[in-house]
Amino acid sequence: MPATLLFSDVHLSPARPAIQDILIDLLQGDARRAAAVYILGDLFEYWVGDDMVPPEFMPVLDAIRALSASGVPVFLQHGNRDFLIGAALARRCGLQLLPDPALVTLHGRRVVLTHGDLLCTADVAYQRYRRVVHNRPLQRLFLALPRAARSRIAAGLRARTQQAVQGKPAAIMDVDPVAATALLDRFGADWLIHGHTHRPAIHRLDSTDNGRLRIDLGDWHPEGRGLWIDEEGPHAAIFPAIPGP
Amino acid sequence: MRRLGMLSMLLMLLSHPAAAEPGAGGTAAPRVRLETTMGTIDVLLYPDRAPETVKNFLAYVDAGAYDGTVFHRVIPGFMIQGGGMDAQMSERPTRAPITNEARADTPNRAGTLAMARTSAPHSATAQFFINLVDNGFLNHTAPSPQGFGYAVFGEVVSGMDVVNKIAQVPTGSRGMHQDVPKTAVVITSARRITP
Repeated sequence: MPATLLFSDVHLSPARPAIQDILIDLLQGDARRAAAVYILGDLFEYWVGDDMVPPEFMPVLDAIRALSASGVPVFLQHGNRDFLIGAALARRCGLQLLPDPALVTLHGRRVVLTHGDLLCTADVAYQRYRRVVHNRPLQRLFLALPRAARSRIAAGLRARTQQAVQGKPAAIMDVDPVAATALLDRFGADWLIHGHTHRPAIHRLDSTDNGRLRIDLGDWHPEGRGLWIDEEGPHAAIFPAIPGP
Repeated sequence: MRRLGMLSMLLMLLSHPAAAEPGAGGTAAPRVRLETTMGTIDVLLYPDRAPETVKNFLAYVDAGAYDGTVFHRVIPGFMIQGGGMDAQMSERPTRAPITNEARADTPNRAGTLAMARTSAPHSATAQFFINLVDNGFLNHTAPSPQGFGYAVFGEVVSGMDVVNKIAQVPTGSRGMHQDVPKTAVVITSARRITP
């Protein structure tokens, strides 16, 4: 059976075209041989509505649509930056939106997929903010605002996030191991896979060799980064801008 | 006398074997012999269909730049790619990228030779690939980043058995690269040959 590809935190932005080229290479290249592709949040640096797609993102959206049309299922989870991606974009690109957290079976393993921000429980201020921005009526209200107003509010939120992050100790912005284990217990799962922290690593949660794992996918800077899973287990991968068909 | 005329015409045709081939426009299409550690592959180039690409490929050939490079990406049922890395998987220096000359009437059929590139359509330099099957999704469909396709500029005329043998070698990941042959398949020399 072909391997499954997972990645997260690409943070596509019109200001970082090189990152976009690497992603398109992957979507047009090795991703075509995947059993399925899972994008675990923050594909985009910001998202203020499916009706306000920056033209710079079109080549990536076209590449995702071409991949799903070729028969490779593409699943997307929301991140803390692109949580307003909606059904309209999903339909347009042939994406399947996943809840967060989501339980899937990959190559015989029960795997919990989550963007990761839910597990940063030590960051109390962020969790409070998250509850507000994930409030559905509030989201609908925001999406009904004129485009200019949405852009202004989003820019303000990004600036405030940047300030807040700069003032925070690194430890509280990492995943809480207790929350990670509790999530695996809740789903009776073997592996937890997430992004968000930009700290790529495979953590063993038990002392046994065949025990539970917490896999942090890491981000896409300066190179593309992701994970292949097959019957043998997880394999970390780096995706540089390399030529090929 | 009439018979002699026909004979001389026949002789003329025989002395221009490239006349019926895609690259011929009065001049014989160039051929290049790739000597590899797994056998010899002869390719015929298409100067009429992809003039810049053929010129670029021959510049690397004539400089000896392909000697010692490997087929570093081998995917059975798809293609074998090489011409850019040495056996240690270090990238060779390249010339400037060339214009993508992919065209709808020169498809990526099994046995054709085409230029590798990044997602930028006009980014090909030295690396090329040989299609193992008809890879229709690599064809030129539109002058857009999605539809540009991959420029076919030649075909294997002898040694397709060698190509298919290379396609079957065991592969694995090496550094950033996947599908790398576990034992290097080296292009020991690439030279022009006269038909």
